[in-house]
Amino acid sequence: MTTPRTSRLDMRVEGARVSLTGRIDDSTSFAELVAQLPTGGVIIDTGGVTFVNSIGMREWIRLIRVLRDRGPVTLERVADVLMTQMNLIPEFATSVQISSFHAQYVCPSCGHESAPVVDVATHAPTLREMKAPKLPCPECGAAMDLGDFPERYLSIFRNG
Amino acid sequence: MQPSSAPPGKLVVAHPERKAQRALQRLVGATLCPVQVVTDLDGLLAAVDAQTIAVVDASVANPGLRDRPARAWIAVPGEGLAPAEASAVSSLLDAGWTHVLAHPMPILAEELLATVQKLIRGDTFGLEKYVAWGAEVRSYKLEDALDRDAAVTELAKDVVAVGLPDRIGSLVSVIADELIANALYAAPVDDSGQRFRANEPRDKGRPLVDRDVVTVRWATDARYLAIEVRDRWGSLDGASIARKLAGGGKQTSEGGMGLPLAYACCNQFVIDCAPSKMTEVIALLDVRYKPTELGRAASFHVFEGEAP
Repeated sequence: MTTPRTSRLDMRVEGARVSLTGRIDDSTSFAELVAQLPTGGVIIDTGGVTFVNSIGMREWIRLIRVLRDRGPVTLERVADVLMTQMNLIPEFATSVQISSFHAQYVCPSCGHESAPVVDVATHAPTLREMKAPKLPCPECGAAMDLGDFPERYLSIFRNG
Repeated sequence: MQPSSAPPGKLVVAHPERKAQRALQRLVGATLCPVQVVTDLDGLLAAVDAQTIAVVDASVANPGLRDRPARAWIAVPGEGLAPAEASAVSSLLDAGWTHVLAHPMPILAEELLATVQKLIRGDTFGLEKYVAWGAEVRSYKLEDALDRDAAVTELAKDVVAVGLPDRIGSLVSVIADELIANALYAAPVDDSGQRFRANEPRDKGRPLVDRDVVTVRWATDARYLAIEVRDRWGSLDGASIARKLAGGGKQTSEGGMGLPLAYACCNQFVIDCAPSKMTEVIALLDVRYKPTELGRAASFHVFEGEAP
């Protein structure tokens, strides 16, 4: 059963833009990533992140702290697993800009569950009121509801 | 004909609403222990002695109450047994309460009866107390500290394979990972109580033998999914863990985030401890209801008993 713990997070850098895919966990180090990024603002796409544990979250917090001192940090397509954990930590409400995020939705009509992308600019007034926008069900087209308490995804927008 | 004798112990239910009193009396009455019902704090204080298991409505359960002698203090949701407010759960945990129920009926009924029976019988360990008899229990024994990833991956895969949604598989991954990490690195203590493996590199292999043995089990009965992780150290302090979890898993930004994260991901968090011998943490996910139909915070329980 034993497997060595090698990093299972793929980090792709194109200029000031980073795409993360895989697990943010004990095996993750962002030191090399920071060295590859230009000074100034960055955009990080975490849509491909599938798992974050507490040690990984600590590394993520450290990464954001370093990057925000160099310029604005924009997060795109924030993965559901990362979004719910970031909402437990108040400092993210002021340290990053979120342009879009994944959230668990449930269709009240057909029961389909999925994690669609919510665009923040499109739904900004609703999100600031701690309400989740309704999104179309990919299976039956009915309006889907957020499948969890709004604060688990939206606390981060309270002061936005 | 001679009926079997009533189990030893005394139960007191304290709730201001008559309807809720009746519901709670029936629930805990299923233990066949005598139940006394009171309406307010004065009645409660007069009724409780050191042998009493007190079941107390959140509106009566002031944080300092738990310092008074009783066999156990159990807080149940207020407002007609609706879900408990997250802030009420948080303030009770912060005050070191070790039995706080957060969910409405019918979850409340299942959770309360299991809690009271564990206390009455002194039969503490095992996830079997939370799932229906027919549920098959699957177990994994880790042979090396590096087996954590493989065990978590296998568990999440098995959970999805029985038909539970990916959302549950994702939560199971985080919970199992944190509970196993806690057993591997936080549970071991030396003679002076120091957690000597706390800063050990996580990429270092270590054979898990004798006291280092860690076992993982899970089961589901389509009501609950239960994940159980056992270590052989018995070093978790329930009241201090309760304080750490206060705030519904709100994180400080550094250090010690593992158990709060596991708590934030589940609906019921149970610590069973035989001091200096064994700790078992059971995380329960309710797979029947949407998260919004449950309490905003998870229930929390700490039991002390004999290791099996």
